[in-house]
Amino acid sequence: MQKRINQKPLAVTLLLLSQLVFSKQVLAGGSWFWLSSKPLAQVTVMAPFVEWHSGPASGYPVFHVSEQGEKLELLIRKTKWMKVKDQKGHEGWITIDDLMLMQDASGTKVSLVEPRFDDFSTRRWEAGLLAGEFESTSVNAAYAGYWMTNNLSLELWGSQVLGNSSEIRILNLNVLHQPFPEWRLSPFFTMGAGKLFIKPKTTLVNEGSRSEDTMNVGLGARYYIDDRYFVRMEVKDYKIFTNRKTNEEATEWKIGLSVFF
Amino acid sequence: MENWTQRILLKSTLLGVLMANFLNFAYATDTDKPLIEPDVRPQIVDESLIDTENFELGVFAGVINIEDFESSPVYGARLAYHLSEYLFFEGNVAMAEGGDTSFETLGNVTLLTSSERDYRYYNFGVGFNLPGQMFFPGAFTFNTNFYLVSGVGATEFADDNRLTINFGGGYQVLVNDWLSVHLTVREHVYKIDLIGEEKNSFNTEISSGLSIFF
Repeated sequence: MQKRINQKPLAVTLLLLSQLVFSKQVLAGGSWFWLSSKPLAQVTVMAPFVEWHSGPASGYPVFHVSEQGEKLELLIRKTKWMKVKDQKGHEGWITIDDLMLMQDASGTKVSLVEPRFDDFSTRRWEAGLLAGEFESTSVNAAYAGYWMTNNLSLELWGSQVLGNSSEIRILNLNVLHQPFPEWRLSPFFTMGAGKLFIKPKTTLVNEGSRSEDTMNVGLGARYYIDDRYFVRMEVKDYKIFTNRKTNEEATEWKIGLSVFF
Repeated sequence: MENWTQRILLKSTLLGVLMANFLNFAYATDTDKPLIEPDVRPQIVDESLIDTENFELGVFAGVINIEDFESSPVYGARLAYHLSEYLFFEGNVAMAEGGDTSFETLGNVTLLTSSERDYRYYNFGVGFNLPGQMFFPGAFTFNTNFYLVSGVGATEFADDNRLTINFGGGYQVLVNDWLSVHLTVREHVYKIDLIGEEKNSFNTEISSGLSIFF
């Protein structure tokens, strides 16, 4: 008798541990190894029905339909698609547009803030990749920018100029001003300063690597294609401060794709 | 005697239980709240609750045919950002090592030092997904993407660094929500002037890899 009583706490501990390990929340999230304790949000279908696709694209087939009043759990999001799970355990993908027509547990319509190009509060960061010419030599460039106000952003640029006789790497910090942020085709002007690292090709010129200070001014425009991404084109004029008698000047144009977060 | 003690004990226990019950009741009526409150609050859906998986990070390995310099194993890494169900940005870095030209093998000469044979490239560009499905015998169905890619970058080879244009296509099998398998064929084109005359170098790469969404 005494022994059985002593075994009880052990059994209870084991039971609790197994509950913890195999509990639905830990396993269901799919990301149990991140140990995320985020509760899964639940929504109620308000439209007559909602189509489920087998994957996060309209090209994947519709294989299931949820009816009005059904409750769905939100699992993960990919682009404009949401993976959901119904109360019978089915899993599939619905569009964010359909999700926005549903109600959450508080009884209000789901309202996710989708980034919009003319709404500054939804997009503070942007990044892009551009290619073009720097003094008739090809240039590849990448940048990241942070919007401080609706009109003003700070950008960090890294460019690589791939010439026949030398390779130039440029690092720039630029301030950009966009006077009409609400326009779909929005012009901007920019100015900045940075450093140029010039590495001559050893096979052609017998010269060591050198670095120069540089300043630039530029003009450009961005054209929003869809809610998150836009085409960006720009022309920059570089002043290169050499330690020789004359300073050099270079013109650069680039075009590329950018995205904001 | 034993009966007496038993009765006293029983009575006091009963009294204790009653007292406890009464106290409980008094407490309950006092605060008007259940002893154990269910921890359920209405969950308002907002962005912070939703786990978005638009980034894809992967590694790949394959074979690259470096024009004039044999075919070599190539290893690389890839990062993609999915803008929409169709469109994605991607960036790749990879390395390989050029072999000997037939001129070198036959004439017993060396054109490049071993460090000059190091082949490295980076590129960035856009891709377009064409979604589909793959059916295996039995009940296995996987979502897939056939994709086309194109971009620009640079190739470092033979002590030179050249603008490189790439284009190609691939097939992606999505094993589950976070893991996928790729098979890619890509052409890299750049200008090279190793033998004095400038010419286009076409490098075909066939690779396969794994990627995870996060």
